[in-house]
Amino acid sequence: MADDCEGLGKARQIYSDRSLRARELKAEGRRIIGYPCVYVPIEMLTALGLIPYRSCGDIREPVTEADRALPGSFCPIMRNCLDCALKSKDDFLDGVVAIHSSDPQEKTARVWQSYTDYPYFHFIDMPVTVRPEAVEYFRGQLDDLKKTLEAFSGKALTESKLEEAIESHNRQRSLVRQLHELTKPSPPLISGTELIQVVKALMSLPVAEGNDLLAEVMSEVKNRTDGPTRKGARLLTWGSTLDSIEIMQVFEANSNVVMDESCGGIRAYRAEVQNSADPLEGLASYYLKEITCARTFRQAELGESRKDYARDLQSRFGYLKGIIREWQVSGVIMLLVRYCDPFAFEMPSLKDYLDSLGVPSTYIEYDYTLGALAPLRTRVEAFLETIS
Amino acid sequence: MSVDKGKKSINRLDSMRPLRAKVNETYLKSLEAIQAGKPAVWGMLNFYYGDPILKAMDIEVVYPENYGAIAAAMGVAQQYLDRADADGFPTHLCGYSLTTLGYASRMMRELDGQIPPEAPLGGMPRPLFLMSSAAVCDARYKWFQSLGRYMDAPVWTLEAPSPGVNEFFIDGNYDRMVDMGVKHLKDFVSFVEGMVGRKMDWDKLDSTANLMIEVNRVWHEVNELRKAKPCPMHSRDFWSAMPAALFLAGDLEDSLNLYRDMCREVKDRVDSHTGAIPEEKYRLVFAELPPWHSLNFFDKLAERGWNFVIESFGYRPPIPIDLSGIADPLERITRFNLQFFAGYYEDARKQNVLGGAFAYPYLKYAREWKCDGALLHPLISCRSASTHLPYVSDMLMEELQVPSLSIEGDIVDLRLFDPEDALARAEPFEETMRYYKKMREQKGLDW
Repeated sequence: MADDCEGLGKARQIYSDRSLRARELKAEGRRIIGYPCVYVPIEMLTALGLIPYRSCGDIREPVTEADRALPGSFCPIMRNCLDCALKSKDDFLDGVVAIHSSDPQEKTARVWQSYTDYPYFHFIDMPVTVRPEAVEYFRGQLDDLKKTLEAFSGKALTESKLEEAIESHNRQRSLVRQLHELTKPSPPLISGTELIQVVKALMSLPVAEGNDLLAEVMSEVKNRTDGPTRKGARLLTWGSTLDSIEIMQVFEANSNVVMDESCGGIRAYRAEVQNSADPLEGLASYYLKEITCARTFRQAELGESRKDYARDLQSRFGYLKGIIREWQVSGVIMLLVRYCDPFAFEMPSLKDYLDSLGVPSTYIEYDYTLGALAPLRTRVEAFLETIS
Repeated sequence: MSVDKGKKSINRLDSMRPLRAKVNETYLKSLEAIQAGKPAVWGMLNFYYGDPILKAMDIEVVYPENYGAIAAAMGVAQQYLDRADADGFPTHLCGYSLTTLGYASRMMRELDGQIPPEAPLGGMPRPLFLMSSAAVCDARYKWFQSLGRYMDAPVWTLEAPSPGVNEFFIDGNYDRMVDMGVKHLKDFVSFVEGMVGRKMDWDKLDSTANLMIEVNRVWHEVNELRKAKPCPMHSRDFWSAMPAALFLAGDLEDSLNLYRDMCREVKDRVDSHTGAIPEEKYRLVFAELPPWHSLNFFDKLAERGWNFVIESFGYRPPIPIDLSGIADPLERITRFNLQFFAGYYEDARKQNVLGGAFAYPYLKYAREWKCDGALLHPLISCRSASTHLPYVSDMLMEELQVPSLSIEGDIVDLRLFDPEDALARAEPFEETMRYYKKMREQKGLDW
């Protein structure tokens, strides 16, 4: 990687060739472990000296190989992810840790493991509620992950190593949040497109290198004179995964995207793993409860025996209220990947919540192909006209 | 031998009829009870986990998944689908969920909680609470959560662990699954007690659990008998008879007697070499959900000598497990529920089949029931019942030289299933099955 490239330029470079650094590290003897979902506790990988590498699809890659293993009416992101694996685009991986964060994740994991031959593969089961017994079960699942990781790495995952790793990843979360503070001004100092590039770069680097990159980016952005121009609307994008600048560029043609609430955006960084006498319990609690993905069944109170829709909406989406206020969001795009059930079921309820806040919103569905861009553009332009 | 008049292509079991009738009778009795003031719960198929709790507490359960199939078959689903679409639910969602959401929207927003007059079979009454399940797919708990837009019915989501095949055998994993399951169920009991205002009858729960396990043990035995050649019982009889066991319909003592009757009748057929169809030329396994609206399609195939000898993992009884040493009914229920999926894991691990709970069973079925082919039925709006099918097809061919025929359909859009087109593909597939029979012989397989 070029030494003179740093900050946003480096993030762009990594984004355009994500595996470059992973391959360099591999050549140095490091082991790289892929993970297709932000629910995987990558601290455990870091603690053992393994490099976590987010397995992503590629919107520019037509799906061909995955057709033999998964039906067409299936999450296109996971199909694409599997397709890349079957085409050996991730041939530098020493293993994969998958997790039961959704049906497509679970079903793809089975097929992925069956059709590939990594030295290491582990599937973490994950409950859907946040009940105490569910957290306890999930902690047990992480303990199982620990066992297989230790066997694979030949090292012991000690509490001190894990605590150190948690601290590094928490630092990264904090830096990402600080970076997102820089989208509060009008115009924002950093664009949604640049943020996608930065986040995806982070997911392609060891945590320490990612933290260094963040420090460079923050310094550059705070002092830049070439930031985004002010556009009419300030948008929040909400959905499962938004990991392609092609999509974000459609949104930012005529607006400023000031917050991306997705797994390609701030979702995995908004909270932190709390210190705990049992670090695995701390991880279990963070990952199951704090990541605000639609896959988790949340209630205003556990086992509530009275239902109040407004209270229910608040318990599920209340975290958005502060974001909308502080970032002066003028419109929300609810972006749905076709065949994503958890987010699809949320759409009308989220719209109800946003309506209660008086925030205009629109729901747009796409299929994670470049062919989706033109219709996306039309829908976004229409929405912006209504809120201008 | 009993021949079903008017449907000579399949020899339906006499013992199937009271089991099939039981489901309808139970449903209508349930409606009467609800109309008389008994509490009603909307439930999701939960594989013997939540149902025994509600049964022991004498709570009537309505299953919107089943009602979605009924609405589709009776031609009233479209208005509910349209309504769900108008309410903002994406159209790719599970057809049963959209039917329920549209139904709930109409019932609550237009009719002030009254059952829609067009709703077939008496409709679904307003529920006291909703019991969803995390088993099988995301839709099955997100859907009930979405109903909060229309009704103030609390939701309880039953957890459903599903580890990987290898991970299942990590030391301590199974015990942790049981531990979570028991704690979760205990809390569920408290929740239900609070909702209905009375305490659980633990003796009744104990006997309900025992009956549930025994009913399914006998039902499992019936299906094992279908390994015989010719197969004495067709898949149509399985689908007609299975709801009583899967949904614990009606009186369980009565169900047990009916399944015992069925076991006797099937044994008699085995002893007398009586098949479910006059001439069994091909033995087939079917996956996954049948086209409920067009089951006479199988009669046409039977006329060609296609005997469907095993089917639908998602509806089958668990592989029997001895739980007699477990005193706590909640633990017996939990272990029985886990057995539904986990019962296959040992074999799956030995065979190194990692395709998950829904895939491995078909390898076992094709081998042990000696199937010549598989008929796979992917459904456009039911991804959970379809995703594993390409893997199953690959697995059956690679391991056993058993070919598959895939015929598309949908759970609510009945236009997508074209029986004529499907039947046109029968003859070429028969040629394929005959070819692969020779391939199996060359591989040393004995069918």
